Amino acid sequence: MATALKIYFTDIYRALYTVAVGLKLTFLHLFTPSVTIQYPDVKLKLPERARNRLYVNIDDCIGCDQCSMACPVDCITIQTIKSTPDVDLGTTSGGNKKRLYVSQFDIDIAKCCYCGLCVYPCPTECIVMTDVYEFAEFDRQNLLYNFSSMTPAEITVAKEKAKKAEEEAAAKKAAAAAAPKPPAAPGTPPPAAPTTPGT
Amino acid sequence: MQELLKSFLGDNALVYIIMGVPPLIFILLYALVTLYMEMKVSAHIQDRVAYMRTGWHGVLQPFADILKLIQKEDIIPAQADKLLFTLAPYLVFTGTYAGFAAIPFSEGYIGSNINLGVFYIVAASSIVVAGLLMSGWASNNKWSLLGAMRSAAQIVSYEIPSALAILVAVMITGSLNLNDVSKFQEGGLFNWVVFGGPLPLLQKLAIIPFTATAFFILLTAGIAEANRTPFDLPEAESELVQGFNTEYSGMKFAIFYVAEYANMFLVSAVAVCLFLGGWQSPFGSALSGPIWGVFWIVIKGMAFVFFQIWLRWTLPRLRVDQLMYVSWKVMTPMLFVCVFAVGLILVL
Amino acid sequence: MDLATVIFYVFVLITLGSAAVVVVSRNIVRAAFALLFTLFGVAAMYAFLMADFLAVTQLLVYVGGILVLLIFGVMLTNRQISVDIKTGTVQTWLAALIVAALGGTLAGIVWSTQWNILSQPPAETAGAPKIGEMFLGSYLLPFEIASAVLLVALIGAALIARRERTS
Repeated sequence: MATALKIYFTDIYRALYTVAVGLKLTFLHLFTPSVTIQYPDVKLKLPERARNRLYVNIDDCIGCDQCSMACPVDCITIQTIKSTPDVDLGTTSGGNKKRLYVSQFDIDIAKCCYCGLCVYPCPTECIVMTDVYEFAEFDRQNLLYNFSSMTPAEITVAKEKAKKAEEEAAAKKAAAAAAPKPPAAPGTPPPAAPTTPGT
Repeated sequence: MQELLKSFLGDNALVYIIMGVPPLIFILLYALVTLYMEMKVSAHIQDRVAYMRTGWHGVLQPFADILKLIQKEDIIPAQADKLLFTLAPYLVFTGTYAGFAAIPFSEGYIGSNINLGVFYIVAASSIVVAGLLMSGWASNNKWSLLGAMRSAAQIVSYEIPSALAILVAVMITGSLNLNDVSKFQEGGLFNWVVFGGPLPLLQKLAIIPFTATAFFILLTAGIAEANRTPFDLPEAESELVQGFNTEYSGMKFAIFYVAEYANMFLVSAVAVCLFLGGWQSPFGSALSGPIWGVFWIVIKGMAFVFFQIWLRWTLPRLRVDQLMYVSWKVMTPMLFVCVFAVGLILVL
Repeated sequence: MDLATVIFYVFVLITLGSAAVVVVSRNIVRAAFALLFTLFGVAAMYAFLMADFLAVTQLLVYVGGILVLLIFGVMLTNRQISVDIKTGTVQTWLAALIVAALGGTLAGIVWSTQWNILSQPPAETAGAPKIGEMFLGSYLLPFEIASAVLLVALIGAALIARRERTS
């Protein structure tokens, strides 16, 4: 009986005491500075190597298509046109000579999975991931980014030129084929082996 | 105020209708303020900031919320009892609003200056129980029904400790009319009933433990009657969706919401009137008068509304058996002791 | 007409209308909820008669206690919620006769009684203090006996409801 009463009163005391402790804790939290970051007004600094929107410095692009091949979701589309020896496309910032017109360099950022795999193979480091993450659009079409700097007119001119050069090259080749074949280079194996072991 | 109106309009039933308007206006304004306060206090206790974008620190958000609720489609479930479903929120609000009639907002204003005061408030809150049961049954939804049953069982059980706690105060003040009870506690902080009222010092010292206990229990029982955490089993989200107001939307839900908030203030105001001097200033005659009276009772009431919100983010929900244990095995016996002891002290 | 009279008739309408619903309704839960308004209306009648203690007690005991208990009972016996009560008329003529006799008697009593009509409402209601003094003064014994009977009923109910503990 006495122990039951004791338990009864200790329970009441403990209930009140623990409630008081809890109330004190929550009251102190009332004056703790809040952890909320009010996003559009206040922005956190992203880590240095954050991967967000892709950017292509088209002036440095040599049209090698390696990024497009590395992309696991096929969000990069590149089309190139061969340049003729008479035009100088300039050099990249790294000093590589550009040999191709990049007529199309499209990134469908809606498809992009931000893996960053396209960044590593780029020989001229022209495709990079930036820290821009606010690029929501109302129209999905607007998420298709065109990085190529060529106008349609320029593309037509370049295409025609390339075609002409190709035709000329083809003509040259045909002419070369018509001419007698030069002797085979030394060291090359004969066209067909006379014997096959085992037969 | 009643006399003033009577001198203008004559002794007319219109006087009583006009007398009923201020509490309604008060409830609506108070609901807006409390909505804001609840969100802000909740957020800051959890180290968040809550509304920040509508107006300065989001002060316009309650208005936006109310506007949203008004615009929302008023859905009545196809299988619901449409008449009772529509009637229930109004009944719940009526019960709470009726209770406000006996709350003296200042020396000069009390909705109905009847002798029965607190007894009437206790009776009026029983209409709320019927309204809750009605909403639960009419929704034709098991969550609603279970929530309503829990709510009714809870309110009915906690009416007993709260009535006994009221009795402790009433024994000291000798009146059920809350205006007279408030008048009785004149003369500053230490003449409040929680400190024994204006009794001789020796009696006062003997009575303080019992009045303090009764006050504390009245407050706790009040939280239970308002269905607030930690006694919010009727609305237990994790098990009952939203309890009795699961099926309600739009304006009807808003009425439930306002009724719940009004009930929070009602229980606080009853406790304040009985134990903390009602509209009396804590500094004796300084800062007192009819206008200051309104200020004091609202401030005191809001302090306990704040306490309820504060408690909400401190304690988890009780189990049903714990709830009943607290009511029947802890509060009720303790209050019997209090009533007996206070009676004894007053007689001696 | 005076506004108070209008309010009075509104309450009369609520009382009688909901009482009719209690009798006529086929849905037992609706009948139970209609009873709420009937009891509420009767409480209002008491208030109009300046018997405020009785009005509040009516509200507390009947609406808050008995009615809630009734609704609980109806809801917990869930088979009855879905079943409509049969409210057909049986033995119309005999019933009409009894109703007429009963109604006639009541009307006769109402007409023949000399009602003590006060020209003015009493200045002070016979409120709680007087009733309390009577309960604890001249009517102490009946009051205490009633409490004892209720206590016995309470203990008895608890005993019956409690499951036998098998040890």
